[in-house]
Amino acid sequence: MTQVILATVLGLLFALGTYLILRRDVVRVVWGVSIIGQAANVYLVTMGGLTGQSPILGHGGEHPVACSVPDAGANCVTDPLVQALVLTAIVIGFGTTAFALVLTYRLYQEHNTLDLTEVTVE
Amino acid sequence: MQPSSSALLALLALPFLGAAFAPLVYRVLGERTAYFAAAVAAASLALVASLFGTQGTVAVPWIPTYGVSLAFYVDGLALLIGTLASGVGVLVFTYSGGYMHGEPGQVKYYATLLAFMGSMLGVAFAADLIALFVFWELTSVSSFLLIGHYQDADASQYAARKSMLITVAGGLFMLVGFLLLHVVATGVPAVDSAFRLAGEGSILANADTMVGALRAQGLFVPVLLLVGVGAATKSAQVPFHIWLPNAMEAPTPVSAFLHSATMVKAGVYLVGRFRPLLLTDEWTLVFGILGLATMTITAILAVAASDIKELLAYSTASHLGLIVAGYGMSGYLGAETGAFHILNHALFKAALFLVAGIVAHEAGTRAIDELGGLASDLPLTAAVTTVAALGMAGVPPFNGFYSKEFLFHAVYYTAEHAVADGGSVLWWLLPAVAVFGSIFTFLYSIRFLMLFFGDKPDALGEVHAPPLAMTVPAVVLGGLALVVGLGGVAGTFGVHFTPLERFVGTVMESSLAHAGEGEHSFSYYLPTEVSPWLIMSAVTIGVGAVAYPFFDGIRDGVRAVRDVDYLRPNWYYDGTVAGLDRSSAIDVIQTGNLRTYALALSLALAALTLGAYAAAGVAVPGLAFAGLGPALVVVLAVAVVGAVAVAAAPSHIAGVLTLSIVGFMVAIFYILGSAPDLALTQLVIETLVLVIFLLVLDKLPAFYGTANRLRAARDAVVAGAVGLTVTVTVLLSTAAGPDDVIAQYFVENGGVPAEHGPIFADAGGGGNIVNVILVDFRAFDTLGEISVVAMAALSVITLIAMRERGEIQ
Amino acid sequence: MSLDRQPTVIARTVTRLVVPLILVTALALLFQGHNLPGGGFIAGVLTVTAFALVYVIFGLDYLEAELLDRNPGTRYETESGIIREYGTVFAVGLAVAVGSGIAAIALGYPFLTQAVAFVEPLPIYHELEVASALVFDLGVYAVVVGALLTILAEVGSE
Repeated sequence: MTQVILATVLGLLFALGTYLILRRDVVRVVWGVSIIGQAANVYLVTMGGLTGQSPILGHGGEHPVACSVPDAGANCVTDPLVQALVLTAIVIGFGTTAFALVLTYRLYQEHNTLDLTEVTVE
Repeated sequence: MQPSSSALLALLALPFLGAAFAPLVYRVLGERTAYFAAAVAAASLALVASLFGTQGTVAVPWIPTYGVSLAFYVDGLALLIGTLASGVGVLVFTYSGGYMHGEPGQVKYYATLLAFMGSMLGVAFAADLIALFVFWELTSVSSFLLIGHYQDADASQYAARKSMLITVAGGLFMLVGFLLLHVVATGVPAVDSAFRLAGEGSILANADTMVGALRAQGLFVPVLLLVGVGAATKSAQVPFHIWLPNAMEAPTPVSAFLHSATMVKAGVYLVGRFRPLLLTDEWTLVFGILGLATMTITAILAVAASDIKELLAYSTASHLGLIVAGYGMSGYLGAETGAFHILNHALFKAALFLVAGIVAHEAGTRAIDELGGLASDLPLTAAVTTVAALGMAGVPPFNGFYSKEFLFHAVYYTAEHAVADGGSVLWWLLPAVAVFGSIFTFLYSIRFLMLFFGDKPDALGEVHAPPLAMTVPAVVLGGLALVVGLGGVAGTFGVHFTPLERFVGTVMESSLAHAGEGEHSFSYYLPTEVSPWLIMSAVTIGVGAVAYPFFDGIRDGVRAVRDVDYLRPNWYYDGTVAGLDRSSAIDVIQTGNLRTYALALSLALAALTLGAYAAAGVAVPGLAFAGLGPALVVVLAVAVVGAVAVAAAPSHIAGVLTLSIVGFMVAIFYILGSAPDLALTQLVIETLVLVIFLLVLDKLPAFYGTANRLRAARDAVVAGAVGLTVTVTVLLSTAAGPDDVIAQYFVENGGVPAEHGPIFADAGGGGNIVNVILVDFRAFDTLGEISVVAMAALSVITLIAMRERGEIQ
Repeated sequence: MSLDRQPTVIARTVTRLVVPLILVTALALLFQGHNLPGGGFIAGVLTVTAFALVYVIFGLDYLEAELLDRNPGTRYETESGIIREYGTVFAVGLAVAVGSGIAAIALGYPFLTQAVAFVEPLPIYHELEVASALVFDLGVYAVVVGALLTILAEVGSE
């Protein structure tokens, strides 16, 4: 099942993120990393199927089928594994973004500039 | 008899434990830590001694999934190296107690030296390729630390780096060889465990089938050469010998221990260990030539040496060459030479290093030209030197004579048989070169001995008597060398020194190829009849004695040749290292500019991925629109618009706010995509991101660089390439579907089973499968992930709260 | 954005009202996580937002000065003060998570094996599901709360 729209959207998000990473301003670089992170998460969730039901079961009932199984049918549940992956990725993403920001702040303190081209050569 | 596994494991653990406790012990004992270390070594020696007479494997599972186990194998060769490591260890630690008096960094010194001893024991007893490699590299690392003991000296740093580069690089070659062996061994049914080198069902136990398999896959010569490079770098064979003379920057006890008696023996140990597997004509060619070339070239270089430790370093390389050449020869003679000379060389060379340390310590100089007539001040040392140096020269009845006779016999025999089998006359070069090299050995040995005789130069001041801790180890080693020599004299009269002969016999057996080398019991004695190899010895000593009066002339001649740049491996080494340092490639690649790296990375990513698709001939599937609700489309569209706005943001604040739009849209996307946990987390995290961005931006200036249209256009092209790659990847991957989906397992086992007992551990037992995966099925991953979160917090603390600390130091 | 400015009365009142609600919600999410949406990660980040709200509205020292009734620890210092305590929280969290795994080893199961027990009959609840995974989840919760609060307070104190 090709996800043409999602493919286009993800391509655009990655392109914008890459463009931001190539900027001179460190803050923009952090934005770029953040956008690419979000896009990667979206990609993973997409792979787990979007149209199914939430992966939450009642006790002792029938086992549903994961949507990523071929011919899963309409009553499938979205892939819980990718959701678990993405859940931790979101939290870690916050950790890294905060770390990058603090680095940016320290960079500014040490070099008195946010321009990456000015801090290259010692 | 099977070795005791507890003794073996204790033996390997003991030195490392000693190393770990060294700092504590030093606080209590101070400089007497030397005797603590000596006690550890003595205990290790006792454990090695308890293993004598045993043979076999002891295995402890390590990574069972990959068949890697911590397996140890005991046989003659392992016991010999183990005895040297622990026995010389006892003496060297005792000696250090005197030598290191008042030196800096003693804790590090003793801890590293003990750890080295443990690694060396590991190399000796490892029965597993991976374990062998790990211990092997550990010896390199400890050697690096010990050579660089005087951290502030440039020469030490240079020497340490050089030894590290050469031996570790060689170790990597060896690793590739090991892996190839492993690959081949997996295809041989008789080999139970494809990483197991020695013992039951191992690679060595099935040497013939292994060689057949290696040859069938065309890997025999590559494996031989790769293992050979590992051995040659470690054992300082030409042209890798260059690190050994520099390594003399280390304190002298280290030189005696690592760079003569043990670590450099790891290479020849490897050769001896693999000999039963790889012994063929190619083997004889490679190791015969390598060994004899090293023996001769480094013996010549030793003559040109101006420093006593330099002389001994080259001499060590030369004798290692002799051992390698011995192992290179076929037949039991070869194995005999290698086995016996490892022992003899360790005895006389360690003794001579200790002597060199005493001389340097008491006379205050190591320059050969400034020394002479030391016998009157250091009579005991002179006696030790006489025994050891004559042994090194190969003069009967001292110990080195016998093993050199074995070598002469082995090369003569090999050449004779090769020519008799229709080989080239060039084979006769082997004995000729052996004699030629030995003449130089004789010359420098006598030169070293003459430091103690003749006139004492006036410039040489008062020479003190060395402390007992330094004399005793040297005397013990010299005494042992003398006993081995006298054993041969006794052997001539039929009185054999049985324990020694039997032991060397078992060492020899470890290196005997199973096919065709026959039964042979080892014994040694002075020759009683004239044989070609006796004549070779006579020629060596005779020519050496005649040439010795012209020593200075020969030395100057060698120096003149030695100093020609193109003939010096060092010249190539320095050139390469310096070239890498200042090569323009580094200026282009390592600009220190993030942009350069990101650009290269993005382009490489796009090119490699798209290239791979093209190469694999993947077709973009038909563009069938998957069912995507209108709500999702809107959300995604807003997200893209938000991202565009971020890229075009005129200020930091505007950018952060629009970035939040993207984040919140992603959260809604999760809601629509039936991922409630994700949506909740994303919503909350997005809020926190906004807060923290605003907090930081508050402190930063409103910088937004001047726009450069050309650069922006170029970046847009790169970004477009990345975007295209991602689009194609998503199209391809969403179109494909694996047959076996891991998630299905979690869906089936995550919940509460329809029938269950009051307590169960085999199913997740939770309705929220995502959470069950996080805390149960993949809890180990989660543990790693929360560690990352904790680490991020620690990094932030380090960056902000501790920023002053680093700058103080 | 500065944290020293006095926010409006409305903001302060709303915060007073909302923060307990957030915390209760967070705890509910933590405990229901095994069967319904929720879990350590979500509960953790939600708890952090409650603190973030307090920080933004009342300033950094409010927690220590008003709630804990003591002198705020010196900023820029990691040896004392509330940042140190946040550090303890995530360290304890890691220890709990690892410890729950080691407990499984002690009982003869592989590292981090989780079990579920159903306790019944109980009044009102009829039966109660007790998952050992909750201990691990508590560890996750503590790590997330401790680490993110450390970051937040550290950045905020600048």
